[in-house]
Amino acid sequence: MTTIAAATAPLRARKLAGRRQWIGLLYVAPAVALVVVFFLIPLGMTAWMSLHNWPLMGEHFYIGLGNYVAILRDTRFWNALRFTAYYTVIVTIAIFVVAFPLALFVERPRPLTNLYRTMFFMPAVVGFASASLLWSWLLNVDSGLFSPAAYDLGLIDRKFNLLATFQPAFWSIIAMVVWKVAGFTMIILMAGLQSIPQDLQEAAVIDGAGPFARFRAITLPLMRRTLALALILSVAGSILAFDQFYIILRGGPRNQTLTAVYWIFNQSFVSFKLGYGAALSMVLLVVLVALSLVQLWLLRKPEGLD
Amino acid sequence: MRNLIAKLALAAVVLGSSLGIAAAETANIWVRADGSNFMPRIVDAYNKAHTNQVKLDIIPNAEIIPKYGAAAAGGTAPDALSLDLIYTPSFAAAGQLEDITDWAKSLPYFSSLSPAHVKTGTYKDHIYGLPFSADASVLIWNKKLFKQAGLDPEKGPANWAEIAADAEKVNALGGNIKGFYFSGNCGGCNIFTFTPLIWASGGDILSEDGSKATLDSPQLRGAIDLYRSMVKKDLVPAGAQTDTGANFFAAFAAGNIGISPSGAFAIGALNTQYPDIDYGVTFLPGKDSGWSSFAGGDNFVVTKGTTKLAVVKEFLDFAYSLEGQTILAKYGSLPVRGDIAKDALKDLDPRYQIAAEAMAKGRTPYSVVFNDLINSANGPWTQMINEVFFGDDVDGAIANAQETMQSIIDQAPQK
Repeated sequence: MTTIAAATAPLRARKLAGRRQWIGLLYVAPAVALVVVFFLIPLGMTAWMSLHNWPLMGEHFYIGLGNYVAILRDTRFWNALRFTAYYTVIVTIAIFVVAFPLALFVERPRPLTNLYRTMFFMPAVVGFASASLLWSWLLNVDSGLFSPAAYDLGLIDRKFNLLATFQPAFWSIIAMVVWKVAGFTMIILMAGLQSIPQDLQEAAVIDGAGPFARFRAITLPLMRRTLALALILSVAGSILAFDQFYIILRGGPRNQTLTAVYWIFNQSFVSFKLGYGAALSMVLLVVLVALSLVQLWLLRKPEGLD
Repeated sequence: MRNLIAKLALAAVVLGSSLGIAAAETANIWVRADGSNFMPRIVDAYNKAHTNQVKLDIIPNAEIIPKYGAAAAGGTAPDALSLDLIYTPSFAAAGQLEDITDWAKSLPYFSSLSPAHVKTGTYKDHIYGLPFSADASVLIWNKKLFKQAGLDPEKGPANWAEIAADAEKVNALGGNIKGFYFSGNCGGCNIFTFTPLIWASGGDILSEDGSKATLDSPQLRGAIDLYRSMVKKDLVPAGAQTDTGANFFAAFAAGNIGISPSGAFAIGALNTQYPDIDYGVTFLPGKDSGWSSFAGGDNFVVTKGTTKLAVVKEFLDFAYSLEGQTILAKYGSLPVRGDIAKDALKDLDPRYQIAAEAMAKGRTPYSVVFNDLINSANGPWTQMINEVFFGDDVDGAIANAQETMQSIIDQAPQK
């Protein structure tokens, strides 16, 4: 009797472990289902469509890698990708240049800190489309704010159309995106700053390190992960930029602000070439994954450091 | 309790039977924003007089094509659509539209329907679209401002030199008054109102069958110079350079623009929404004389496989009646039935007669890639007009557009 009991014990344990695994699977099932339904299946569908001549209306048929061959010759897509890269670099730098000082400013408790945090963060809760609509009005030369205000104040002789030429239009978008996104990046960076133990800073002060040396040798290395997160979010978001260029500029002036996603949208829903749009999306996906891997590698934890 | 159940049951029976008697069906119809003045009126009139109902959705001009395409792919397309006639060939070619040849030919007035519409509504000898609304491009001028500027308020410009001179005089009034307005970043607006200037002078931008782009012409160059000179003299509001069409009508309706190329739709819209504006209507002139017009508007098309065909036909029948044609005309569309056009316009603003004449002699370019070439906000035509009106390198812009347009035409699927 006892021997039987002893023999079945490990079996029962194994059974229990197996059951526990099943329960574990059950717990993650909703998450897995979401990923499968809203990511893996659409991704597979996109890959499948990219191998077809798939018009928005009418019959589709298999063409193998035809779409990808066409992409190689699609100079307007590569131009759009080049512009997207340029925009990503500029806007990411701009966001960090604004968000980092803001984070340092609101990190420590001081009078009205909560008010400042809320103020800086507010634009982040506005959707990109509504923010773009707001700014497209602000930037309007006849009925907006900036140009008419400057004119009425006597700063300029005649109203200046900010959206008519590339440089002012581009920098207007940068200003709008920084206004909108910097608050969010600030919160991420602030959390990183707050996680740095205060005694490290104090020890450095005792050792005679100045504020810049402390920033370089303590703050920056200890914020590696936070910076990686903020950087990846900013880069990925910028590479997928669409709303602001579509709503405010319509890709203008003269198609100089067509981003990669804008081009995909145009091919899919203006020219009705869904299959081609899917192939472009796959190319963009590869670019994005590669870039994210590079960033993770650059910001990896250095050897021997916890 | 039992009482309550009995009452509920009775209510259910009554409700059910009343629904049964009506058996009304509701068809869903889309129209682009250009039709937002007349379309709700005719739908209301139809709904009041019929048990079957029509539910109308108004879609922004630039969105309706992609939106319909996406809806059709997803199986949620409306039962019928008032579609810019330019697109009928490519939609029919895609197999998206119901073949309505037999029904169309059974209409007693079929032969007097607008020929520009029927031509674009026909694909491989089958009819997929019938005329619904018609719009011809014309030139409109503000009589009050003309009078203030010392011009004859009853005489609109009849050639390019007069356009420039009149615009300059009105502009000299100063303040926020400007001489001329056009939507400088809107391909659709300018194919409608700018190409007639070229046509009237003997040029064209596409060959007759749409197989060749013909941008390199002295007529196009001349029309560009007319617009450029007015921009240079500051006769045009700064906002024109970035207007993607949102102000195409609104700028003139605000009352501080001297002259603007526009469409017949403006007559109905101005009369009903801006009755204070005193304006004249004339033809879009050629360089020295003559005139031309873009015969545009919408074809009524039926989504393939709809179950509401009967309602849709009933609605179109109503729109073709004298009552329907009069409602359409009153609120901004020209009549599409030639045989009763005179009756429909009889009691209306005499300025419609000019637009009706423009429509009758107007032209309509034919191309299966019209959207990619002309209307797309990022297409070669839109890019070119913005560059040539406001940029520095006119010749380069024309050459570039010519090349891009030709390559789009050449790459189009041969259908």
